[in-house]
Amino acid sequence: MSNKFLETKNVSKTFGKIKALDDVNFNLYKGKIHGLLGENGAGKSSLMNVLSGIYQPEKGSIYLDGQKEKILSPDIASRLGIGMVHQEFRLVESFSIKDNLTLSKSNIYKDNFLKSFKKYSEIFALNVNENEIISDLSVGEKQKIEIMKLIFNDSNIMLLDEPTAVLTPQETSQLKNSLVTLAQEDMKTIVLITHKLKEIKEFTEIVSVMKNGKMVAKDLPTKDVTDNQLIELMMGAVKTSTVDKDNKIGQIKLNVENINFIDEVSNIKKLEEINFHVKSGEILGLAGVSGNGQVELANIISGIEKIFEGKIIINNKDVSNKGVRSRKKLNLSYIPENRLGVGLAPGVSVIDNSIVRDYFHTKLGPHLSKNKTSNLLESLIKQFSIKAPNPKAEISTLSGGNMQKLLMGRELVGDPDVIIASQPTRGLDVNAVDAIHNLLIDQRNKGSAIFLISEDLDELFKLSHRLLVIFEGKIVKSFNTTDANINDVGLAMAGASE
Amino acid sequence: MNKYTLSKRQVVNELSTFYSFLAGFLIALIIGSVILLIQDKSPIDTFSLMFKLSIGSVNSLSSSLNKATPLILAGLGIAIINTVKLWNIGAEGQIFMGAIGVNLIYINFQLTSSTSFIFLLLVSAFVGGAICILIPAVAKVLFGVNEIITTLLTNYIVIGLTIYLVNGPWKDPGSLNFPAAAYVGKEVYLPTIFGKLSYGFLICIFFTAFAHYLKNSSVFGYEMRIAGGSEMTAIYAGINAKQKAFFAMLIGGGFAGLAGGIELLSQTHRVSTGISQGFGYTAIIVAAITGMRPTGIFLVGSLFGALSIGGSVIQTIGVSTYIADIIQVSTLFGALVIQFFFNYQLKRADDG
Repeated sequence: MSNKFLETKNVSKTFGKIKALDDVNFNLYKGKIHGLLGENGAGKSSLMNVLSGIYQPEKGSIYLDGQKEKILSPDIASRLGIGMVHQEFRLVESFSIKDNLTLSKSNIYKDNFLKSFKKYSEIFALNVNENEIISDLSVGEKQKIEIMKLIFNDSNIMLLDEPTAVLTPQETSQLKNSLVTLAQEDMKTIVLITHKLKEIKEFTEIVSVMKNGKMVAKDLPTKDVTDNQLIELMMGAVKTSTVDKDNKIGQIKLNVENINFIDEVSNIKKLEEINFHVKSGEILGLAGVSGNGQVELANIISGIEKIFEGKIIINNKDVSNKGVRSRKKLNLSYIPENRLGVGLAPGVSVIDNSIVRDYFHTKLGPHLSKNKTSNLLESLIKQFSIKAPNPKAEISTLSGGNMQKLLMGRELVGDPDVIIASQPTRGLDVNAVDAIHNLLIDQRNKGSAIFLISEDLDELFKLSHRLLVIFEGKIVKSFNTTDANINDVGLAMAGASE
Repeated sequence: MNKYTLSKRQVVNELSTFYSFLAGFLIALIIGSVILLIQDKSPIDTFSLMFKLSIGSVNSLSSSLNKATPLILAGLGIAIINTVKLWNIGAEGQIFMGAIGVNLIYINFQLTSSTSFIFLLLVSAFVGGAICILIPAVAKVLFGVNEIITTLLTNYIVIGLTIYLVNGPWKDPGSLNFPAAAYVGKEVYLPTIFGKLSYGFLICIFFTAFAHYLKNSSVFGYEMRIAGGSEMTAIYAGINAKQKAFFAMLIGGGFAGLAGGIELLSQTHRVSTGISQGFGYTAIIVAAITGMRPTGIFLVGSLFGALSIGGSVIQTIGVSTYIADIIQVSTLFGALVIQFFFNYQLKRADDG
């Protein structure tokens, strides 16, 4: 292989107790497209943030062209020719394309802007006038401008954080062609962060894999590695803890039939032909990397999203046209993935948040009974051992674990028939995770039908009887957790074709 | 180098708003004193005169409470709307609309019983205020138009409308060159309880209790709080957040409209541009100082009423009326700064 263009040696970065980067060695080669693979939280974004000057590592050094460099700020990174495209775009929405592209002081195409804009518009198959305002562009077009901005700022190293997450399949293959052209003709060095094996295979020449803040494999030639090897590196050894799954399974409680859903804003098909059912006493897991349609599916089942094709049947009643309230009355509970913001209202007190599900049961006419609500909170605090000393305190003064326990307790206290639990343990510490798992198992034993959406394979294998894998809005595989191979699930999650 | 960071306190003292107000008022008195001293006036003499003339006798106390009535009612309206985390800057216009509503019904209808006629007029004041905020409410709910701008703009429209009415169709020929509508008849004057104290103040007490109940103990108030906290949580809970915002705005506008109606029926007795002396704007200060608490609005509104009365009489000793305005505004500044330190604490940043 050619010489290292950029090299990190033993880079470490910690946040509190968490080691986001642990002695990371990482190499980039000039004019190549590199893949960086890893689960959520593996440290990919942290590493990119170190390279682009947003984070300062506590330890380790970075060499650019053999020269040791300290990248103290994004400004310095940009001067060194390192640029990044974040998942949330950093464009000035009210400015024109031209203004955005020429904004930076390190801009190199100020004088012959039009000529270069035309050239790169061709490479990116971008068909817009340079005077158009950013907010009028589509998501795909905005992304092209973001990448173009790096070129105009003379970045030779381009870090792209999950660029395809917002793109249609056509746009994705278009992006691939543009990146290949940039690497070959302009000798740009490109890093692609992704979860998708298919993209690693199609886009990149060299791939590195991270896990738990460590670089577990680097400089693998993409054409020589198999999907299986990559998945094994990415997942590592999964501890296969499991719970007793011989509990009594009863009638079908939740039936989801032929769900199709197109997102109105982006016009992207988010869900396609989703079919499944969950029985009383059963935990059905839905595995998948975030952003593959899980939130949309949960919102459709719970009644938040009303415009979709297909049928939702709860307890043999078709509720497809019914709202949130009537589904709650059929005893459906929904623990949303977004704890603070959807499940709990920020800026509102603990006690107000504790009755969101059932507050209409505590009212007497237009009057909200203070006694009933505080009794309800007290019993929640006792039953689910929540630490919430002051009922009038704002909800976000609770710890993440206690917030989740309050939310779960509130949704579970009425022994619901159907529970949708979306990423119920994300971001929680080990003890809180155990507590949440026990709550779900108790509820399962009481006969609830539980639909568990998670990207934590440990959790899914431990709790669920059956497992579906969702990828790009489709159920691509289903497994029995007792005899499934965790790597097969991982492969399906990453979109590997058979 | 020492770095300090601000962090939100886990537990905020429940009476912190009250303490902040007291501290803010003290700061305001100090600022007022400094300004008086610069002008070679004695702060002690000035303040004691203000005190005597605003609450020193039954009559002066009645005047103060009459003055406080529109402040309190408009402030309550602002607080109700703020339950869904929206701001009503249009109370001034709503006050005028309330008065216009009263006059419109007064000149077109006549009821024999003056009690029920007064009741009808007060209802039309409430409706007038609600109509005034209708366009901002619809624009907010349907298109997400910023209500701060639209409610502010309606003030200018309504004051323009008032000027048109009192110079045109409603102009009282008897008022000579002063543009004003004709006086309403004595039979619809709000009676007084004792001294000069109007029944309007009793209505005000009742509405304070009502606002307190609505905000804190009703199902509607709960739904408003959730909708104000997070629209997504409201949707998740099956609460129609937009509908709550809409009705909160109409009710809040109605409160301010009622203020205008009471002002007309108890004080000015006719529509003119003098219906409100900036009550709608001072009400924002009152509501903000108290952290949008109805009981607090009642107390601070009463104090501000007294300050206005006190301020208007100290001209006799050669002190500008504006000293009262300075004290009101400085109280808000002081209270907000102190409240900030109740909500946050300065911490020395640890390394790393």
